[in-house]
Parts: sequence; C-alpha cells; structure tokens
Amino acid sequence: MEGQIRIALAGNPNSGKTTLFNKLTGANQFVGNWPGVTVEKKEGKLIVDKEVVLTDLPGIYSLSPYTLEEVVARNYLMEEKPDAILNIVDATNLERNLYLTTQLTELGIPVVVALNMMDLVKKAGDHINVKELSRQLGCKIVEISALKGDGVREAAESAIEAAKSGKTIPQHSFSGPVEHALAHIEEVTVHDLPEEKQRWYAIKLFERDEKVVEALKLSAETKAHIEKDIAAAEQEMDDDAESIITNERYVYIGQMLKGIYKKKGTGKLSVSDKIDRIVTNRWLALPIFAVVMFLVYALSMGKSIADGGISIGTWLTDLTNDVLGGAWLQDGSRAILESWGAAPWLVGLISDGILAGVGAVLGFVPQMLVLFLMLCLLEDCGYMARIAFIMDRIFRRFGLSGKSFIPMLVGTGCGIPGVMASRTIENERDRRMTIMTTTFMPCGAKMPIIGLIAGALFGGSTWIAVSAYFIGVAAIVLSGIMLKKTKIFAGDPAPFVMELPAYHLPAWGNVLRGTWERGWSFIKRAGTVIVVSSIVIWFLTSFGVVNGHFGMVESLYEDEEIVTNEYVAAVADRMDIPEEEVEPMDDSILARVAQPVSVVFRPLGFGDWKPTAATVTGLVAKEEVVANFGIMYAYDDNDGEEELEENGDQIWDRVAEDFNAFSNGHGKLAAFTFMIFNLLCAPCFAAIGAIKREMNSRKWTWFAIAYQCGFAWVAAFIVWQIGRVFTGGMSIVGLILALLMLGFVLWMLFRPYKESQKLTVQ
Amino acid sequence: MMPLIMADTGEENIIRRVGGSPDMKKHLEDMGFVAGGAVTVLNTIGGNLIVKVKESRVAVSREMAAKIMI
Repeated sequence: MEGQIRIALAGNPNSGKTTLFNKLTGANQFVGNWPGVTVEKKEGKLIVDKEVVLTDLPGIYSLSPYTLEEVVARNYLMEEKPDAILNIVDATNLERNLYLTTQLTELGIPVVVALNMMDLVKKAGDHINVKELSRQLGCKIVEISALKGDGVREAAESAIEAAKSGKTIPQHSFSGPVEHALAHIEEVTVHDLPEEKQRWYAIKLFERDEKVVEALKLSAETKAHIEKDIAAAEQEMDDDAESIITNERYVYIGQMLKGIYKKKGTGKLSVSDKIDRIVTNRWLALPIFAVVMFLVYALSMGKSIADGGISIGTWLTDLTNDVLGGAWLQDGSRAILESWGAAPWLVGLISDGILAGVGAVLGFVPQMLVLFLMLCLLEDCGYMARIAFIMDRIFRRFGLSGKSFIPMLVGTGCGIPGVMASRTIENERDRRMTIMTTTFMPCGAKMPIIGLIAGALFGGSTWIAVSAYFIGVAAIVLSGIMLKKTKIFAGDPAPFVMELPAYHLPAWGNVLRGTWERGWSFIKRAGTVIVVSSIVIWFLTSFGVVNGHFGMVESLYEDEEIVTNEYVAAVADRMDIPEEEVEPMDDSILARVAQPVSVVFRPLGFGDWKPTAATVTGLVAKEEVVANFGIMYAYDDNDGEEELEENGDQIWDRVAEDFNAFSNGHGKLAAFTFMIFNLLCAPCFAAIGAIKREMNSRKWTWFAIAYQCGFAWVAAFIVWQIGRVFTGGMSIVGLILALLMLGFVLWMLFRPYKESQKLTVQ
Repeated sequence: MMPLIMADTGEENIIRRVGGSPDMKKHLEDMGFVAGGAVTVLNTIGGNLIVKVKESRVAVSREMAAKIMI
C-alpha cells in the first residue's frame, strides 16, 4: 500500500453515500467484511485516478462507541489513518449531518465535504453560504448531486489534493468550563501524541469513552486526576460529560448556521410528509402494506403472464426451465456423449447428475432476480424503513422488533441475505432471535419442495403453498413467544428508533447493482456447491456393494449370479419392503447409509431411505431435496423397456406411490409432515454459514441449528401423530406423546412472563 | 415537562430533557434529539410515533418517546 493514496468516504445513513460511492468507483469495487465483525466493507478504485483507493465507511450519525458501525468507522479512521476523509453531507438536513462533520474534523485527518442534494435546497428556494460554511468548518466544500453525478469528479479531485497536501484544523470550540477541562486533559495525558490528534483524544477522554481510555492505557493516578476535571465541568454545566459535548456541538452548529443558512419556506409539508400521511396512516398502513406485498410476490412468484397472471418472474423461470431443465438438455447431452462413445457412467454423471441438478436450480434465477429487484426497489425508494415501523407494533407482541420483519421478508427470497439483513437490529438478544427464526420462512429454494409435494400428492393445490407460508410465519411467532419466556432471551425488545429516509424515485444504478449482487451470489452457489453435491449424490445413488461386488448397482443387478433369490430376500428384509419391490438403488451407498438414519424420521411418518436421504442432502442446498427426488425416482426400470424421461408427472406418480407405500396408505399426511420438517429444520450449509458469521459464536450457531431441527421434529411429530387420528391408524403411544408435546408448547405460550423480565430502561 | 407521547400531532415542541439508559440517550442525541432542539410529532400509529427532528423524520417507539421530555 506504500505510495498509494487512501481516502475514506464517511457520512450519515441515507445521505446518498452509496450512490456517491458507486459514481466515484464505477465497477472497480471489492466487497468484504471489516475484520472481526460482520459489517460489510466496500472498497473501490477511483475512476479519476486508479491509484487512489476509496473505502466506504458504514453510515453513521456519530463517532461514539455504541453501535457496531460506529466502532468500525472509528477504528478505521484512528488505526488505518487514511490520507483524507471525503465527508458526504446531506444539504437538506444540514444540522444533523454537520454534527458528524464537527467530529471528523477533530481527527487530525484532512476532510473534504461533499455537499449533496444542493439542487434540492436551491429548488426549495433556500440559500446556503457555502464559502462561509467552508471557512467556519475549516475544510473545503464541494457542491454535488450524487444522483445526477454533478460535481462528483471535482469532489474526488479535491479529496486527492487534500490527501496530498491538505490539513484540517477544527474551528469550533466548546464553552469555557469544557475547554478548561480539555486543556487539562491534553496536558496530563496526550501531550506525547502527534499534535493534530491531541484534541480528539482529549475530547474522548472527557466523554469517558471506555474504548479510548482502554487504548491509551492511562495510569490509575492520571485517570483520577482527569476525572476531577470532568466532574468539575459536569457540576458546572449540570449534565453528564457526554451530553455536554453533544449539546455543545449542536449549539455551535445552530449558531454557525444562523448566518449561513437562509430558509425560505418553513412549516410547509414536504412530499415525503404527505406520502407518510397516507402510507403510515393508522388505518391505511396495513392495507397498503398488504397490497405492496401482494404485488411483490404476484410479480415475482405468482401466476405467469403466459397463464393470465402478472408474474414476470414465473414467466421467465418457465422459459428458463424449458431451455435448461427441459428434456432436450439431458437427452441431447446424452445423445452426444453416447455418439462419442463415452462410458455409461460418464453419460450418467453428466446428464443425470450435473445437468439435472444445476438445471433445476438455475431455473429459479429469474424468479429470484425479480424478487430481489422488488426488494431493492422498496429499500431504495424508502418504503422498507416504513415497513419496519408499521410492523413494529405487531411484532412487539411476539417479542420481536419491527426491524426483525425485514430479514424475514428478504428471507422469503433467500435465507442468506435474510440472515445478513438482521444486522440493522442493534439489540443483540433481538438480533440472535431474528437470526434463529428468519430461515423458518420458505425461501426460494424451498419452493420446489412445496411444489413437489403439492403436485405429487395434492393435485397441485395452491393451499399447500399458502399453508407453507402460514407454517413459516407461525413458527416464527410461536418461537418468538416461547423463546422470550426462557432465561436467555428474556426482556422486552429494544425500543425502536429508526430514521425514515425521504422518499425518492429509485436510483436505478443502485437498484440494479443491489439486485445483481444478491442474484450473483445465488448463481455462484449453483455453480459450485450444487455441481459438487449433484456429483456426490449421483455417485452415492449409482454405486454400491451388491452381494460383495462393488460397482454401478444398475449393471450389477443385471447379473443373475450376483443377485440371487436369497440375496433379494435379504435386501427386502433389510429395507423392510416386499421382495418384488427391491430395486438396484436399494443397494446404493446412499440407501445403505440413509436406511439406519431413517429411524429418526419414522415417528414423523417418512422413515424411508429416500426422503431421509433427500432431507439430509437438503442441508447442502434445499434445491437438492427436489434434485435428489429427481435422481432417485428417475431410474430406469429393471427391464429397461421404459426409457428415462425427465417428465415431472412421471416422477410425481412414483413419489406418490412410494409415499403411500412406506406410510401404509397415509401418503398425503406423510408428505405433508415431510414438507413441514424440510421447511423448518436447519437451513442449507450456506445459510448456516451466514448464521455462524452473524452470530459470531460457535455455541450460538449450534444452538440455533439444534433449536431449528428440534422445532421442526416436534412440529412434524405432532402433525403426524394427531393427523392419523383423523386418517385412521393412530398409535396410542404416539398420540399421548404428541399431546404431551402440544401441552408443553401451549404451556410455554401462555405462561406469564417473569417479573424480572419487565422493561428495564433506566 | 411532559413526555413526547403526550404532544399534539403537528405542533412544534422544544425538547427539555432526554432520559433512558446511557446508550439509548447517546443514540437519541446523535440522531438529533437534544435538549433545546425542536421536535414535531408528525404521525402516531399504535402508540409509536413518527417525529420530525432537525430536518429528518425519525420513527420512535412509545417506550422511547416516553423518555423524551418536552
């Protein structure tokens, strides 16, 4: 990094920072994480000068040490010492934005202010004396419009210039008693630090900032000494040190702006206020929200345009499936490979393993992209923040905050961004609970499971899909209430504070970039995890040991010397099926491994090796559940007369037949419990990885997985055991156990909160 | 002095004091809720408020608003 110029981009949330960052760096971006924490770190090379690296700091209101974002930004500015700070300031909200600016100028790093949205200020007839503001802040100001791109280049050039030769000296001062204390603190603690840093440290010590006190390793004597100065100032000002500084900053800014900021119209409602009057209206808020949600899902996952619906997503997915998942791809590749004289196992691997598995997943990409596009649009135009606010009063009853709703909403697309969206929740307890429950929502990859079960056993009834969402929401609500009554999650959700950004027309660049980033990670997974797991599953289902001979089970079964009558009887015995139902695949490695594991699922109604194998491989990726059914049920028949066809109906018939067979005629119920378990149990490895990153703790990750699996098992158990009361063939022991579990759940739901769990805000 | 939840919608008030835990207090202050500053309740929904403070709109829950004295 020697010789390279580094500039940090800092600013309030919703100040247009992301837009400016995109405009400044274009496509030269690298996304990562800040060390040790889960806040996203974005860096990019400036378009105007490729030698300059711009680091996008998280959106912050202040440099206090309370939120993760603030700590990250602070540490970067103090420890990495960038050559300059480009501070984006929203001119329409000058006072609060400058509050951060006054703190940035104290750091001893050259600051350039990019005054954003000046066009809006001028349009409103207001006037800002930029020259005077620049003088009073002690740093250069460039007027820009990040959205239109005006002045962006100049801002970048000014920042580079400042990095090379600039110096920012804070011009503001605090009142007498505070300055007096600051002078004392500087003298006794930080006089050996570089001069330009002394003021920042002195102010932080005055505020009793724990992290700074720790970092400076002051002796107990010094601490006691400065404590006296702080206490004296506090007594004189009749407030705590932190608030004194905060208040004085605002007072200073207020006075400074008096001569600089001429406001023309006051008291007039802005467009955003007018929209909010309607959108967050007491009566209209929920209906409007319901309509918006309906549109989002109708457009992305609903009925295809081709079938008279409005869904572009489904239409594109159908098209993609016709191309990628269609028979021609597999049959075609098979024909080509066979004409090349490829070995049968290679043909099987490529056509039935890789192409079938990846094709099934890529088909979803259009639906996912449309859904992500919708969610990005809602976020960019400002409605997403309102959703959190509207849902807060409802979620609060289940012990969750309104901010938990956004992760769940995103989770209906994909659990990974869903889990990551939980970052905006400040309270750790609430965040953990949200992370644990978000993946209960049926994500895009679980949709095919729902589709398979609905198609194979319920005649394609849409009620199955509706019930899946209902089950997901119910699982979240029940978990919220139950977990809140346990010791670790006790306590009311943290009080809600959230800035509602002004509504604006979506910035297409940001929306498309956001959509693509999420969509691409989905595609990448299909290209890596799913290719590998498809190969593994194909291998495990195609190979096995038949009567002491290892090889492809299909070909071994053609040899009557190996597959003797006694052997078939033994296999039938092991798999607990009639002799005539023995298939080559029953000897595959997967069947051998899955058969003993299936005992776990017997009390849930699907204790057979195929659904067991599908469920377990669902951990790799939920798409695998269906991809696996495809591989397991799409076998050639023994006589070889029936050609393999990737025909959905044919597989559905086989699935239905199989479910009815192993559940003694309760196929529908077994299929339903299979779906419940797969919807609720631990998510795919990628999402578990996201959970681990966000929890930042092995213990919590395991707890989350155990809870999810346990919850799923109990839910499926209760449905299976009680369901059989109505379909006949109930088991008394099972029913009693199910009722006991149900009783426990109800007890958890209705027992009162403990006294000590009342709201404690001092 | 009364808590912000009792303010009339649309009426501008001056913040007298911000309470709550030190973390919450600081966070509120950083977002612009400072003693001496103006605050206007724009909208209420189920006890939660949308208020205008400085030049921004901030959503605060009832519990939070009860700690802001006007």
